[in-house]
Amino acid sequence: MVITQELDLYQKLEILSDAAKYDVACTSSGVDRSGSGGGIGNCMAPGICHTFSADGRCISLLKILFTNECIFDCRYCINRRSNDTLRTSFTPEEICTLTMEFYRRNYIEGLFLSSGVLHTPEYTMNELYQTLYLLRRKYQFEGYIHVKVIPGAPDELVSRIGFLADRVSVNLELPTADGLKLLAPHKTRQRILEPMRQIQIMRQADKELLPIRKEEGERDGRLFLTERDEKRQDFMGISENEADSTKQLPKDFYQLQERCMKNSLSLRRLPRFVPAGQSTQMIVGATAESDFQIISVAESLYRKFDLKRVFYSAFVRVNEDSLLPDLPGGPPLKREHRLYQADWLMRYYGFEANELLSEKRPNFNSLLDPKCDWALAHLECFPVEVNRADYYTLLRVPGIGPKSARRIVQARRMGRLDFQDLKKAGVVLKRAVYFITCSGRQMYPLKMNEDFILHNLQSVQAGGGSHYAGPITYRQLSLFDQVG
Amino acid sequence: MNIFLCEDTIEGIFTAVYDAWASRLGHANVKLQVRGETMELFASCHEVETDISKAEKVARTIQREMGKKGWEQISRAALSTKQERADAIYRVLILALSAKKTTEEKQVSQSDKSRSSDRYGRDEMYRTYWTYRKKSADCLTQIQNPNVCLVMELARSVWNETHRYMGFVRFRELQGGILFSEIEPENHILPLLGAHFADRFPREAFLIADRTHREVLVHKADDLWRIIKDVPFEAGGFGNRKISGREAEFEHLWRGFCSSISIKERENPQLQRQLWPYKFRKWMTEGQNDW
Repeated sequence: MVITQELDLYQKLEILSDAAKYDVACTSSGVDRSGSGGGIGNCMAPGICHTFSADGRCISLLKILFTNECIFDCRYCINRRSNDTLRTSFTPEEICTLTMEFYRRNYIEGLFLSSGVLHTPEYTMNELYQTLYLLRRKYQFEGYIHVKVIPGAPDELVSRIGFLADRVSVNLELPTADGLKLLAPHKTRQRILEPMRQIQIMRQADKELLPIRKEEGERDGRLFLTERDEKRQDFMGISENEADSTKQLPKDFYQLQERCMKNSLSLRRLPRFVPAGQSTQMIVGATAESDFQIISVAESLYRKFDLKRVFYSAFVRVNEDSLLPDLPGGPPLKREHRLYQADWLMRYYGFEANELLSEKRPNFNSLLDPKCDWALAHLECFPVEVNRADYYTLLRVPGIGPKSARRIVQARRMGRLDFQDLKKAGVVLKRAVYFITCSGRQMYPLKMNEDFILHNLQSVQAGGGSHYAGPITYRQLSLFDQVG
Repeated sequence: MNIFLCEDTIEGIFTAVYDAWASRLGHANVKLQVRGETMELFASCHEVETDISKAEKVARTIQREMGKKGWEQISRAALSTKQERADAIYRVLILALSAKKTTEEKQVSQSDKSRSSDRYGRDEMYRTYWTYRKKSADCLTQIQNPNVCLVMELARSVWNETHRYMGFVRFRELQGGILFSEIEPENHILPLLGAHFADRFPREAFLIADRTHREVLVHKADDLWRIIKDVPFEAGGFGNRKISGREAEFEHLWRGFCSSISIKERENPQLQRQLWPYKFRKWMTEGQNDW
């Protein structure tokens, strides 16, 4: 039964932020945009965390649903059609007021707007577009906006909204098409991937325009075009004919831009299309996929759809449903943590999905993080000589990350590095000692033996006290050990 | 050994750098100290009077010779509160300004300008988005040198604190639409915060009060930001005087939002405390316990 009553702003905010909390995307990063002087707001590339909620997650955006009414009946979702909850909806003006007043007081970096599906996907997307339009044009908001696209929304709305938002997401929900069919039969894989592809193509076209838009030394992502830029465009002969020659570009891309420009009030500059890129979200633990399947999906998303982030959300059992798994130990937080570690390895450390896991080993080791796990399985690559190895080999050492590796590579041009210098560079020596040498010497005489290193690494992770745990007194047995 | 004693501010340190260099006593015979440290035996002390024009000259030289990133590192290190920073900065400057520019560097900087790609793109894993373009700033990567290491650590800690405060500053609206905030930072981060917030809120009038150093950052609508020093502060904070009528409503909304956005099954107060220490919560509206 759907009851709609007139609620005040506080009650609406409580209900609609409570309904939005399972959308874990929280970053305000990816855009470096200075204020124009006439509006309010700017964006910082690394993003800013404004506060932390009781579950330890960062709050940097006003994360709300436009409405929690929904025509879909996805089994894992608290807003499903067959749930008996209080349903309500914001008006665009209310959202704008909240966003602007919170932003002025420095509570938030920007807005995160998602929605349940009201009437049809097209209707809901239009409502979201109206809100963003009001926020950008009338209130002159120049902060961060992250908007979720409803699967099944029409192309034109998606491209219009892309010119107003900084980051756009389409939720993948479940890693495989079978899982999706089981738990969310109204959403098909096709309808989720279509907007992703469209956004990817339009972002590619937008990047090609970047040289004429960005001036020397300027932070990127300007919201508007100046007269000088327009003259430059005429001078360079960029016209509608050029649009057809660019590969895979939708024919009416420039017409779309022109239409957007003409629809606006006092537009002086050409807006960028989704400058912070796209992201997506997967639920972990609701269906029986292995970790290997999940990170393979993530890898192909990064490569083929040019995604910026994939978020993994541990499944929380909010509905009583026979198709949802029982969670005796609570939500799978450790598994989610391992997946994020693997995601970082793929994006920043140059690992591939089949290096971390395989068909034979489809799930992560719960005792060791994936990087140490890989290092122990490939001891033939170690020890690495810090003064000679190249950047990517240094990245593979447990305890050395991109920043430390960069510092090492820059500092060793000036002279030999020693273990004390490595400590200053930010290398976690507790983990790295087993795998590196400086000028041919190890820090202490250590054995390159898998059991020995594993024993010490685990005591480091458990106690964190001294980094030499002494000789091995026992060996970790597993049910699958081959004895004899 | 000649010791130059300077004020504990960035202008003081740069004036001391100017004076020590211009004194022509020899770099090895000179040491910079911030006023208030214990004296050395058998050393002659020179008092340095802070002169803004000298400080500006030093600042311009650093910016020109070491580039934007080099200037960032040195200025952030100078904004910290550690006593040894004056001498460390002096030694680093000597190292930097004695490096010779080569023709190769000039060619490299020309080709850098034509690069138009995304600075944070994934296909540029090795592209150190933090490269120093000037050869003289390369000395800042020499972590084997203890002075360079100290400057790097101080710059990092100042920036980490600034970045956190960019999120943790909470404005309250006073009557008349003025936004007011109080913070208690360790380092002198008001100049860095001023640059950020003036860009973010060009049309708002705001004040950020630094209780530790008794300074206030003032920004009028559509104007430049300024810092006022030696402001008297009360122990209990500004309190609720002259708060605008709508302020209570928005604070209430924000607190409700913060509590409803958390997932109960994942509650982790230890993690929350690690990321959001108690010392920051004192001046933040959602950190108060009385609601």
